[in-house]
Amino acid sequence: MDRAMSEAPVVKVSGLRKRFGAGPLVLDGIDLEVARGEFVSFIGPSGCGKSTLLRLIAGLTPASEGSITVEGLAPEQARKRMFFVFQDANLMPWRRVAENVELPLLLRGDAPAPRRERVARMLEIVGLAGAEAKFPWQLSGGMKMRVSIARALSVAPEILLLDEPIGALDEMTRDRLNEDLLAIRSRDPFTGFFVTHAVAEAVFLSSRIVVLGANPGRVTAVIEVPFAYPRQPELRETPPFLRLLATTAQALRAVRVA
Amino acid sequence: MSASSPSRLAAFLLPALTAVALILLWYAFKAVLQVPSFVLPAPHEIVAAAWEERTVLWSAALVTVRGALLGFTAAVTVGFLLAMALGFSPRIKTSFYPLILVLQMMPVTILAPIFVLWLGQGLPSIVAITFVIGFFPVVANTTMGFISVDRHLRELFVMCNATRAQEARYLRIPGAMPYFLTGMKIAGTLAPIGAIVGDFLAGSAQGGVGGIGYMTISYFSQLKTPALFATGLVACVMGFLFVGGVNWLHWRLLHSWHDSMVKKE
Ligand SMILES: Nc1ncnc2c1ncn2[C@@H]1O[C@H](COP(=O)(O)OP(=O)(O)O)[C@@H](O)[C@H]1O
Ligand SMILES: [Mg+2]
Repeated sequence: MDRAMSEAPVVKVSGLRKRFGAGPLVLDGIDLEVARGEFVSFIGPSGCGKSTLLRLIAGLTPASEGSITVEGLAPEQARKRMFFVFQDANLMPWRRVAENVELPLLLRGDAPAPRRERVARMLEIVGLAGAEAKFPWQLSGGMKMRVSIARALSVAPEILLLDEPIGALDEMTRDRLNEDLLAIRSRDPFTGFFVTHAVAEAVFLSSRIVVLGANPGRVTAVIEVPFAYPRQPELRETPPFLRLLATTAQALRAVRVA
Repeated sequence: MSASSPSRLAAFLLPALTAVALILLWYAFKAVLQVPSFVLPAPHEIVAAAWEERTVLWSAALVTVRGALLGFTAAVTVGFLLAMALGFSPRIKTSFYPLILVLQMMPVTILAPIFVLWLGQGLPSIVAITFVIGFFPVVANTTMGFISVDRHLRELFVMCNATRAQEARYLRIPGAMPYFLTGMKIAGTLAPIGAIVGDFLAGSAQGGVGGIGYMTISYFSQLKTPALFATGLVACVMGFLFVGGVNWLHWRLLHSWHDSMVKKE
């Protein structure tokens, strides 16, 4: 952490404003500095611009005002270092599990042999060894999400952006996936950006929680999460965790009421 | 088991019984009203005529199948390539798509003599007519497929820094497949009809025999009504085989992944 703090921020957002075309301001004056190895969650009411903020950092949509740099570069220039885990898994229905995971490697021109090797390792990491030949329609929602995460991790991104990746799953699957996500991160440490509307998930995963208010989206609170990684599932039942859960829930409620 | 097997049996039995009933009705109608055979032949007379004319009908069917296959292949190939151009360039699409839709309104009966004028009687004209009939459904459907690419999958390709060629090969073309195959299915249904109509309008017996359409005219002018009906029988069988082939291709390419084919419990 000490080393990370002294380094230049991996992602730097300053004075960011965003509107789509002539529409209303979606994001208004976002400032954010994220150091290497952090895991930042964005939480806020639906429609406050969480996905938009993530897409801005990924360079999928341009900023209207202000600036975003990723590793000192414009987002579009830094794509090789980032990957995006989209809502609803976003798999290609005509490609088998292994072929879906392989896609980013294929597109960047890796040779077949290392590609296969990497895919096998990724599927093992997300607990899907043996499902290589299945098509997406044969998978449960949780398995699809694992494929999506394996695909994102296949290129070993330095920055991983996750847009409500586990929003539609049942609680048990969610908890398992979140634990696995942390386990994966302790092996392949990436800087994480995570959009969610679930408070417990945000506290469990993040090193920092950014609460956004709506109309237009603004940062209304920043909550530091002091628990050291690796985190165990039991952390969820400890009093400090529950206290921070309450703090975060209050911060979120304050936004909703306003 | 007990729920599915009677219904499967019924699926064969009911149409067979209906066919038998209709044939009996046919005989009854012919007998009661004393319709002569040159107006309405009896079913057995049609079968007998088909057998008698089997060599002619067989060669005629081959000629028509050749026309249908050539026209269908051309329609599918050119249709796919044009749809790709339309789907990949918004400018080309705005320039050409409305014109294509307008041209589609042109009846074949008007196009046929024009083709004969340009290409003469015979196979080239027949192929051209078949092509025109099958071409539009392929273009319209496939273009739709190329345009309606999932937005999020496109963003995935952006995140991968995919080139346009990669996006085409790995996203747009496979994504457009179900649409293309739907267009191809329609073209496959129309192709034998197109070839027969083309043969009817532009066919010739040069170099031996004409196609099914040509034989229709020939039998008609000789008042060989049972043989005329027999050409209809041949056309039905041909169309059935053609559609069956295209359906099989459709199934081959989609059954493993596409919603329309996948069996979910
Ligand atoms: N591509 C777009 N074009 C126009 N408006 C958009 C687009 N994407 C998002 N918006 C608008 O921006 C606002 C924030 O959306 P979003 O970032 O998806 O919110 P969240 O993810 O927090 O629910 C919404 O009002 C939405 O309608
Ligand atoms: Mg969202």
